[in-house]
Formats: sequence, structure tokens, C-alpha cells
Amino acid sequence: MILELEGLAAGYGAKTVISDLSFAVAEGEILALLGHNGAGKTTTLKTAMGLIAPRAGLVRFAGVPLARVPVAERVARGLRLLPEGRGIFPDLTVAENIDVVAARLAAGGAMFTPEALYRLLPVLAERRTTRAGSMSGGQQQMLAFALAILGTPRCLLLDEPSIGLAPNLVERLFAQVRDVCRAHGVAVVLVEQNVAAALALADRVAIMNSGKLVFDGTPEAARASNLWEHF
Amino acid sequence: MLALQLLVNGIVTGSALGVVAVSFALIYATTRVFHVAHAGVYTLGGYLAWSLMRHGVPAIAALLVAMAGCVVLGSLIQILLYARLERRGAAQLVVLIASLGALAVIQNLIAAIYSPDILNFSAAWAGQVVALPGGLRLTGAQIATVVLDFAAFGATLVFAHRTLLGKRIRAVASNPFLAEITRLEPRRVHVYVMAIASALVCLPGVLGPLDYGLQPYGGVTPLLTATIAMIAGGIGSLAGAFGLAVAIVVLQNLALLVMPGEWSIGVTFAIFVVFMLFRPRGLFAGK
Repeated sequence: MILELEGLAAGYGAKTVISDLSFAVAEGEILALLGHNGAGKTTTLKTAMGLIAPRAGLVRFAGVPLARVPVAERVARGLRLLPEGRGIFPDLTVAENIDVVAARLAAGGAMFTPEALYRLLPVLAERRTTRAGSMSGGQQQMLAFALAILGTPRCLLLDEPSIGLAPNLVERLFAQVRDVCRAHGVAVVLVEQNVAAALALADRVAIMNSGKLVFDGTPEAARASNLWEHF
Repeated sequence: MLALQLLVNGIVTGSALGVVAVSFALIYATTRVFHVAHAGVYTLGGYLAWSLMRHGVPAIAALLVAMAGCVVLGSLIQILLYARLERRGAAQLVVLIASLGALAVIQNLIAAIYSPDILNFSAAWAGQVVALPGGLRLTGAQIATVVLDFAAFGATLVFAHRTLLGKRIRAVASNPFLAEITRLEPRRVHVYVMAIASALVCLPGVLGPLDYGLQPYGGVTPLLTATIAMIAGGIGSLAGAFGLAVAIVVLQNLALLVMPGEWSIGVTFAIFVVFMLFRPRGLFAGK
């Protein structure tokens, strides 16, 4: 398992958002993490990333506990987050976005160099000199995905990547996610409101309700159960 | 003739305040700290250069050492004060009050070590008057001010847009959260920004007093004009901050043709009010 969460509890101020949460994701596996608004999905990703200190439990990455590992070091080890709605530097051009992150994450021998990304996502090559904030929502999300995979990612935490995108763009983005995951063995934890699209993409499904895990199984099992009861 | 001289004087002083505005804008856009203590760093630069030149150190060397001193002071303020407050989740108002406190400490230490009165800061080359075509007259200090401050502004723009560190600073300013999760290390970048801005502000901090003397509390008025220029120019736009600072000071100077000098600060605030009414996000605000 590349990422393991064991008995995790976290929250903000006096409020506990997630409690006793445990799940794991293996190399090359796509795990869809579903749940109602406020179920604690984003808090889970932020806690795994080290942006929120856990109140209890443990996050392990590639078998190593991350309790004392700062965010920058987690990123360097290959744990990446694509945050909801703010995954680009809007005031920089596309090339500047990629260059500035590549300088910190894509040293020699990286899985995804800037050149590899421009080949993978040609729309970014065409828009190199465009101010990122002035691009369409779909193009911005492609750039956000590119920044998340720059270098050598081992586990991608994707927080609602399809939000605000037209269905054909969601399909295209998820096809890229699948390709990256399958071809390079990158694990993915996908938080998504678009349940149908997430089930179609995922190898496994975990459903959260009020901060706890209430379902962990295959997409087929999720479909066979009364899915909405879990929400 | 008088109008032309006032215009040129305005451009000279405006270029100095433009560098103060650019340095302040760089800090605010990146750290979101309203770094009032920057006025203290500005003031310290002049006093350090004065001390060195009084002991025979050449002007260029004195300027460079003063810059190094300002870099140390600015970095220490960031590391020991702002970063600690940020880690404790302090509100912006708390950070502003802490900055005001730091300014008071710097100003009072300078007054205690040197003098609370105005000190004459002069150098032979700085006082020499050069006659230019059109009957214009500029001192050596004024020529050095306009040349070096415009050069510093140009160099800052090139740095921000052409170098990797400059792009990294702009990235942190553009999206601090993403900067955190893409290993751009915003907290370290904040220290770099404070160091660079402190070196920058030292330039007008040394050259300005060559014209009108040193005073421990003299940094506040330039910072006030610089702040207005930053807001009117559009927060985040270095060119806007510099351009508006030059424009404000030119207008202040030209206003002398029609009103007494004590009204010049009124001109500054009139410009500010006009911008707040008609273009509150500033002239060159990002879209």
C-alpha cells in the first residue's frame, strides 16, 4: 500500500470533522472517496497531506509514518494534492506555472518533465504564453492536473477535479487520470461529487458519512447496494 | 521654466518614492503583511551610510554595507516577528500593531544612538549643482537618485519576470495555498522577499537624506505616499506602484504653482480619494 490512513481523527477548532477513519490505497489503484457535502472528504485529503494536524491516528506513506514529516517533504516523496478550484497560479503564464513548479519538483530523471507534460497535454503547449487565470475552466483544470503530476508523483489526491467542467471535459480529464495511473503505477484518491463518473473510473469506492467510513468495496458492490443510503 | 524645474524635481523625488512603493508592494503582495516597519528599515539605511561615510568609507561601499544592514533587519523582522505571529494564527490587525511596535523601536533606537534632531548628511559630489539645458539645475544627489532608482525599478521588473526566484515569488503571491503544496516553501520565500525589499528601500533611504538630511522619524511620510501609490496603482502591480508614486509626487510639485507647499499632502490624499471613488482596485489591478 502506498498510502494508509489508520484510525484518523481531525477537525477545525473545537469541531471534529473526521473520526476513526481507516483506508488504504495501493500503487496504480484508483480509489473514489465519496460522501455528502461536509462528510469530511476534503479534511481527509488535507490531513493526509499534512495541512491539518491529526488529533488521533496515523498516516503512512510507502510504509513510513508521516507524523513528523512536513508538507514540503511529503510533496517531494510523491504525495500530491490537486486542490478544489485553486490549483493554478492565475497571475503567471502557463509556462511560468510549469517552470516554477518543475524547478522544485522535476529534477533529473523525473517521471513527468515539462516537455513530457506538453506532449501529454498539447493544449498547454499551445497556451504557453497565456496568463493562466485568463484561460477557460477546462484549460485551467488541465494545467492544475499538470502541476499536480509534475515530477514523480506516487499518489495523487484529487479534490473534486470535475467541478465546473462540461461533461466532455470531465471525460477527457478522467481519461488522463486513468492513463497516468495505469501507465506509471500512480495511486489516486479521487474525491468527487459526480458519482457516476467516479464509479466509472474507480477500482474501489469508499463512502464517508459524517466523518466516518460507511462503505469500502468495488464500484460494482457500490452500485448493487443502495448507494444513496450511504449518503 | 519654474514649472519645468518642478516637474523634473517631481520625477527625481517620485523615482525615490517609486522604489519605496515597489518594495512595499512586493512585501504586501507576497506576505499580505502591512509592513509599516519598512519605514524604519528605510531610515536605518540612511543612518548606516552616514556613519560609514563620516569615517571615510567611499559612498558606494557605504551604500552596499547599508543595504546589507537593511537586509539583516528586514529578514529578522520577518523571521522573529511576522513568521512567529503567522504560525500562531494572528489576525492581520495584530500583525499590523506588531509592525507599528517594531517601527517605534527602530525609530527610538536610532534617536537614542544618533540624535532625535535632523542630521546634516552631505557629500561633496552630492551637493554639486549641474546646469542642464533649458535652465534646469540638478544636484549630484538628485542625478544619482533618478538614475539609480529608475535602474533599481527596471532591475526589479526583470528579476520578477525573468528569473526563477522572481517567478517563484510571484507564484507565492498569486496562490499561497498552491505554493505550499507544490513545495515552493512560501515561508522561506517571505524571508527572501523581505530581504530583497529591504535592500531596495535602502537606496532611496540613503540618497534622499543626501538632499534633505536625516531624521529618525523621517521614514513615515515616504511610506504613506508609497502606500497610496501601491493601492492606486493596483495591489500586485509593481509598475503601477512605481508609476503612481512618480505621478503623485509630480502632481504634488506642480501644485506648488497654484497653492502653498503645506497643501502637498492634501494633493496626495485627493488623488487617493479619486481612485477610491472611481477605481478602487487601482489602475493596473490584475483581472
